[in-house]
Amino acid sequence: MENDAMLTTSPSTLENKPTGLKLFFTRLVQQRMLVLMSIPFVIWLIIFKYVPIWGWTIAFQDYQPGLKFSEQKWVGFKHFKILFTDETFSEQFLRAVRNTLAMSGINLILGFVTAITLALLLNEVKKMAFKRVVQTVSYLPHFISWVVAAGIIQTTLAPDGIINELLKWIGVIDKGQEYLFLGKAEWFWGIFGASSVWKDIGWNAIVYLAAISSIDPAQYEAAEMDGAGRLRRMWSITLPGIKPVIIVLLIMNIGYLMESGFEPQYLLGNGMNVDYSENIDIFVLKYGLQQFNFPLATAAGMFKTVVSFILLFAANNVAKRMGQDRLF
Amino acid sequence: MANLASVSKPRKFSSRNSSLGDKIFDISIYAILTILMIVTLYPFINTLAVSFNTATDSMKGGIHLLPRQFSLENYKFVFADNSVYNATMISVLRSVIGTIVTVFASAMVAYTISRPEYVLRKFVTIAFIITMYINGGLIPNFLLIRDLGLLDSFWVYILPGVIGVFNLIIIRSFIEQLPDSILESARIDGAGDFRTFINIVLPLCLPVLATVALFSTVSQWNSWFDVFLYNSSNEHLSTLQYELQKILQNSNTTSSAESGFANSSADSNKVSPLSIRATMTIVASVPMIIIYPFLQKYFVKGMTVGGVKG
Amino acid sequence: MAKKLLVAGMAAVMAMSVAACGSDKNDDNNSSTTEKATTPSTESASTTDGASATETPKDKVTFSMFLGVSGEKDVNTNETTIGKVLEDQTGVNFKLEHLVGDLNTKIGTMIAGDKYPDVMVPDAAIEEVMKANAFIPLDDLIEQYGPNIKRVYGPYFERMKSDYGGHIYFLPYSAQVGEVTSDPNINQGAFWVQRRVLKEAGYPVIKTMDQYTKLIEDFVAKHPDEDLTGTLTLTNDWRFFATSNVPMHLDGFPNDGNVEVNIDTLDAKTYAGSDSEKRWLQTLNTLNAKGLFDKSSFVDNYDQYIAKLSSKKVVGFFDYGWQIGTATAALKDAARKDPSQDDYVYYPLAVTWDGTKDQYQDPPGWTSNRGIGITKSAKDPARIIQYWDNMLKEENQVLINWGIKGETYEVNDQGRFYRTQEQIDKIDQTFKEKYGFVTYDWDFPQYNSTSTFADGNARSVGFQPEVFEMSLTEGDKTILGKYGIKTYSDIFDKPEDRPWFPAWSIPKEQGSAQQLWETKKDDLLKKYYAKLALAKPEDFEGIWADYKKEFDKLDTAGYEKWYKEQLQKLVAIAKAK
Repeated sequence: MENDAMLTTSPSTLENKPTGLKLFFTRLVQQRMLVLMSIPFVIWLIIFKYVPIWGWTIAFQDYQPGLKFSEQKWVGFKHFKILFTDETFSEQFLRAVRNTLAMSGINLILGFVTAITLALLLNEVKKMAFKRVVQTVSYLPHFISWVVAAGIIQTTLAPDGIINELLKWIGVIDKGQEYLFLGKAEWFWGIFGASSVWKDIGWNAIVYLAAISSIDPAQYEAAEMDGAGRLRRMWSITLPGIKPVIIVLLIMNIGYLMESGFEPQYLLGNGMNVDYSENIDIFVLKYGLQQFNFPLATAAGMFKTVVSFILLFAANNVAKRMGQDRLF
Repeated sequence: MANLASVSKPRKFSSRNSSLGDKIFDISIYAILTILMIVTLYPFINTLAVSFNTATDSMKGGIHLLPRQFSLENYKFVFADNSVYNATMISVLRSVIGTIVTVFASAMVAYTISRPEYVLRKFVTIAFIITMYINGGLIPNFLLIRDLGLLDSFWVYILPGVIGVFNLIIIRSFIEQLPDSILESARIDGAGDFRTFINIVLPLCLPVLATVALFSTVSQWNSWFDVFLYNSSNEHLSTLQYELQKILQNSNTTSSAESGFANSSADSNKVSPLSIRATMTIVASVPMIIIYPFLQKYFVKGMTVGGVKG
Repeated sequence: MAKKLLVAGMAAVMAMSVAACGSDKNDDNNSSTTEKATTPSTESASTTDGASATETPKDKVTFSMFLGVSGEKDVNTNETTIGKVLEDQTGVNFKLEHLVGDLNTKIGTMIAGDKYPDVMVPDAAIEEVMKANAFIPLDDLIEQYGPNIKRVYGPYFERMKSDYGGHIYFLPYSAQVGEVTSDPNINQGAFWVQRRVLKEAGYPVIKTMDQYTKLIEDFVAKHPDEDLTGTLTLTNDWRFFATSNVPMHLDGFPNDGNVEVNIDTLDAKTYAGSDSEKRWLQTLNTLNAKGLFDKSSFVDNYDQYIAKLSSKKVVGFFDYGWQIGTATAALKDAARKDPSQDDYVYYPLAVTWDGTKDQYQDPPGWTSNRGIGITKSAKDPARIIQYWDNMLKEENQVLINWGIKGETYEVNDQGRFYRTQEQIDKIDQTFKEKYGFVTYDWDFPQYNSTSTFADGNARSVGFQPEVFEMSLTEGDKTILGKYGIKTYSDIFDKPEDRPWFPAWSIPKEQGSAQQLWETKKDDLLKKYYAKLALAKPEDFEGIWADYKKEFDKLDTAGYEKWYKEQLQKLVAIAKAK
């Protein structure tokens, strides 16, 4: 397939006469070092990542672990139908899809904005000691597992928790009116977003900090001489300097929109907020894995992949059209 | 962001005020970052406090910044198990080896797909990217590992993770950012691709390699699911995180059938899942917290290298 | 979710599961004769530790054993005191591996890879293991090597065979032997209330829900400045049944899972969506309207719940005793150190809607769908069966439960077992692990906890009256005295005979319509319980109508029909004997 692509694109870009295929091989020989440096890993990739994809056939079977491939019972699209058209399931599943997209969307935007902001701010800190302390401290929550973090969040948001106490102290609410934060279904996405930011802001900022550190300092000096203020420099040097990384990460993460995580929703979810907290992964756990229903889980996984690809290619195309760096 | 917008105002009035503007700018940054620190430090301090508190007392809740009844019981419980030590060694080994392998391999492939002239560039790139979003599922993966003979082996920690696609893409972006002139000059000197990669690209990519190394180390250090799937019956290959998971579940037993030992029931509650979880968090994360400042150094160093290249 | 409910419910039932039919047959003579009939091969003389392997009648052998439950250390059984003794007798050692992650994942990979440990306790994944034909039939092995297995499990053989297609594939953990000894403490469901509440009210007899709520209401009204929580309920994750099971108990039924079974007709009725459930939620709703219910009940996690129970602020609540052990132990401990704290210890009450017969206590039961089996990967199944058979000898059951005389228990002049205070103090969790009490307390074949030895001693240490009495504080004695009873279980009605009990343990296929019904029902209940309990009283009826409408979409009739058929089958087997 890739060879075809080469065939169609090469004539326009190259002035050398040899025809497509021959040219391709000539260049391949010329670039043997690059081939040697990459193809072994492509073979690795095929073994470890592509071979297991035969597992997708499970979605079309009433799969029984332990039976041979030839002994499995094929059922066509049965499991997909359950997800999308079964009267009792589809509503719940589609709601799970909605929640997944909403939560990962919120997470994507909040996560990007806050992590980039943090990186930019840290870059402006001149005291190295302070900078390092902030960097390290903001990185800490990443190492607190969601179980522990959820416990802290639940305690903090409880009616007698610190947030309600704070609200009472500043007079927003009176005693007896405490909010049951995790009981308000429509607040769940927000709570999830804030929790995720809190947990991963420092971690997510690392890659931008690394990107910033490779910006040529000469650029700053030149800008300073032109009288650009710090905000100006931040805006027209630092940000463009890390733009390629931002865009590439953005495209990759748009492809991940179907993955909104599992643990935070599972741990913070309850009967009162289930309409907003139950995502695809929780649905799959309940009706797939816990029922030993591997086909249903696989079908849901395939659906996620398809959506991911659509999102990924769309995002990549948009970036291409806008003349930005892109993923591929 | 709103804060920043407002501080930009004084700057407009006159250049004389730039030092004042600078100050306000600085103060705002310090204020924001300090608040951030408080918010992100709290969970850790809280976890630390719980880990040093007696389990029965922690159960009552209400512990915030300091232990209420100081105790080392939780740590004793975690370290009482000798398997923790061997498991720590395995964790260190897989983190070190896994990181070296993945950083080197990812960087090498990243270099090849950053070369615009490489004819397989698009093919290789897309082949890798696709795998980020597809997954054959648990059982096919398990069967693959079994058929490769990797069950009950240390290499199951390393081989499936030789290249992280995320890392690959990040490194590629960095290489693409490098000024062409540097690579061109290497080319003119007659250096082949491999030598260019080793001698020029790797050193210039230090900041991103440090980042990727950090990501890889942390994920190697934290992973226990592969131990669970592939090596659970071989205690010599157990990792720290896996042992901690076991200890956590161990702390869960409040023997229900035999609660008739009423007299000793309180004693047997020396630990609880709540306090063990806290202790585990500290035990497992401290090494990762310690290595961070060492890697941070390279982000800064990257600047000077970048300076040279200009 | 359903699976977890089973797992959880099991802990309660295991504590009491009793032979469906064998209790009267297994008299002392019977057991002692089989004891003598033990074949020489299993009788391998206990050789000393120092003896080399060649001199023991059997080579030493180690089997791998996977347990689909977590919570214990992975050890070799011969590293424990008890396990060492058993190894000396049989030459067999087990290398244990407990589950760490998700059970279905682990079992799924084992099945897919077709490679198993020698022995497995698959817990809730047992249906899958059976479906994959991973367990070998044990019938012939038992016939050949298992005189004690036959003695102990014999009364259940018919049922075991009928459950799984004509053969015995695994041994459920425990079988009733000898007379039934009941647990003097309450590990099962009860409505709990702080002792001070009863004291202040003059130790009234509380039998109905109305009396119970009034008791709580009055107490809170009299103590306005204590910031008390009238009541709360546990809803977190799989523990939700602590809230949803209540209507069944208030109706006077034991914990059969999702159904109330009519003893005469064997009609299995689900109580979800019933009037009883409506009344229960209405009760919570009313309490909530009066400010006597903790709204956070529906968002709190288990840790928060336990913290609240330990805070001394909660006046009363419903739960199963085994779920609140950490909180009650802490309160009891405080009371032991300072008698004035006795006020805050919780006292269990047998409450029903109308105050008539309660069935909180589990009837004699049998858990069909959990147990230990030998896999087709096992090299030498005979040795494993011999080990199990040896374990089931009466003297080894004493060893496993009571330990070694002079070390962990004593015998008085009347031949009664007891523990000295010193021994009780010595036997903490660490000691239990080292000694092997923890290793052997659950997963291996054994007498169940309500069994009695031939000499009349209780199989379970905690059930031995001598041990229970020693555990009582002055405060305990006072309140028991006020109600004129000897043990906490005395105020509960005796359980009726239900040969199928517990109905939830009747095997259901993974992914079957029944399992699906349960999962969907749980989803629905979780969503609506909170709404109903916290609604404004005037909105209650409307929400209830919505809930009923949703609930009626489920195939409840099919579920009930399936259950009735299963029950009829089991009762027929029980009657056949």
